[in-house]
Amino acid sequence: MLDRESTFADSEIVNLLKTRFVPVAIDQANQRRQQDTEGDFYRKIAGQGPRSDFNGTTQGFYIATAAGKLLLYNNNRDPAKVRRLMKEKLAEFESSDAARASTAAIKTTKVDERYNARLPEGGLVLRVQAKVLDGYEPTTNRWQSIFQSAMSRDNLWISASEHQELVRGQVPRSLQERIARFHLVDNTRGEPPMWKKEEIRRMDMQLRNGRITGVAHLNTAREDRGYETQLLGVVDVKNGTIVRFDMVSKGDFWGAGAYTGGAPNGKFPLAISFTLADGTDIADDLPPQGSRGWLRGYLR
Amino acid sequence: MQHKRNTQTSFFFGSLIIAFAASAVALHMIASPVACAGDLTMAEFQELHEQLQVSADKPWRTIPWKTAMLDAQHTAAQQAKPIFIWAMDGHPLGCT
Repeated sequence: MLDRESTFADSEIVNLLKTRFVPVAIDQANQRRQQDTEGDFYRKIAGQGPRSDFNGTTQGFYIATAAGKLLLYNNNRDPAKVRRLMKEKLAEFESSDAARASTAAIKTTKVDERYNARLPEGGLVLRVQAKVLDGYEPTTNRWQSIFQSAMSRDNLWISASEHQELVRGQVPRSLQERIARFHLVDNTRGEPPMWKKEEIRRMDMQLRNGRITGVAHLNTAREDRGYETQLLGVVDVKNGTIVRFDMVSKGDFWGAGAYTGGAPNGKFPLAISFTLADGTDIADDLPPQGSRGWLRGYLR
Repeated sequence: MQHKRNTQTSFFFGSLIIAFAASAVALHMIASPVACAGDLTMAEFQELHEQLQVSADKPWRTIPWKTAMLDAQHTAAQQAKPIFIWAMDGHPLGCT
């Protein structure tokens, strides 16, 4: 979130990435664990840096050659610093043999299915975007300001059988629970805690005449985090396929998770939008955050 | 017999009136921007839904990010460029 609005909002960095580098964005929680060719290549690079214990996070910015030689590790997002380091390492790379040596493309010999989740055939992807609408104390702090205006992004996956139930005018219970547990969350300031099944106090969605309505009450046993919300939207079907699924959740959220600190005090309005993905955004292809490492658990 | 016919006629017209009223209510629910889920109205749904869409021209979204290390390695090998890796907890292009 902070990187998007700071480091990658810098026009010179953006231009360098477009023209002089091959940019790749990953959830390193997958690559540092996955036992396959993809994971091996990542660990080869990250293992040369200071975060070489793959039982913990290895997050940061890396610059490396195609042969897997690490040129830079940096975990500071300040645009001026990143820009300077990128130029230095680019000059270093271009004056080295690596820029002229022929490097073979690495052939994939092993794929760890646990970290290569794919949308089930006949399923649907919905973009899910959340925003805190009000409640923050005014701030002049640049980073807090980014958090306070942030809009998150995740994907909701719908299975083929759920898709067909929606076409028939039903909102399957499995889909309602998935929306509640993994997508009615405040992920605007970082990785959120997902809801446990027993934390769904109420989830009732209905689809009638192309209009989807619903109510959800979620809260922890200690009641230190919760969301009481309404859902409303429009679903259009054409030739047995969902062609439009626009929905909004709007309600009162309270509390935060270990990585989503800095929430407004007390209850605050949180809105979440759902939109059928059309494949025009590269993030449309990403698996849902809630499916990480356990797609079956997410889809059940 | 006459009494029965009158009852049937009354029932027929009564049913027509009920059906007409039900249709009017249904049409109103579909077309009107009034409250449908508690306080959340269709007008508010439309406004929020439009507001909660990421702008395609955000600078970070104009970068041709790859999402797999091996894909990046192949391009880097082909184009003799270094790889820039944005590695986060949670996918940096989504999820948070």
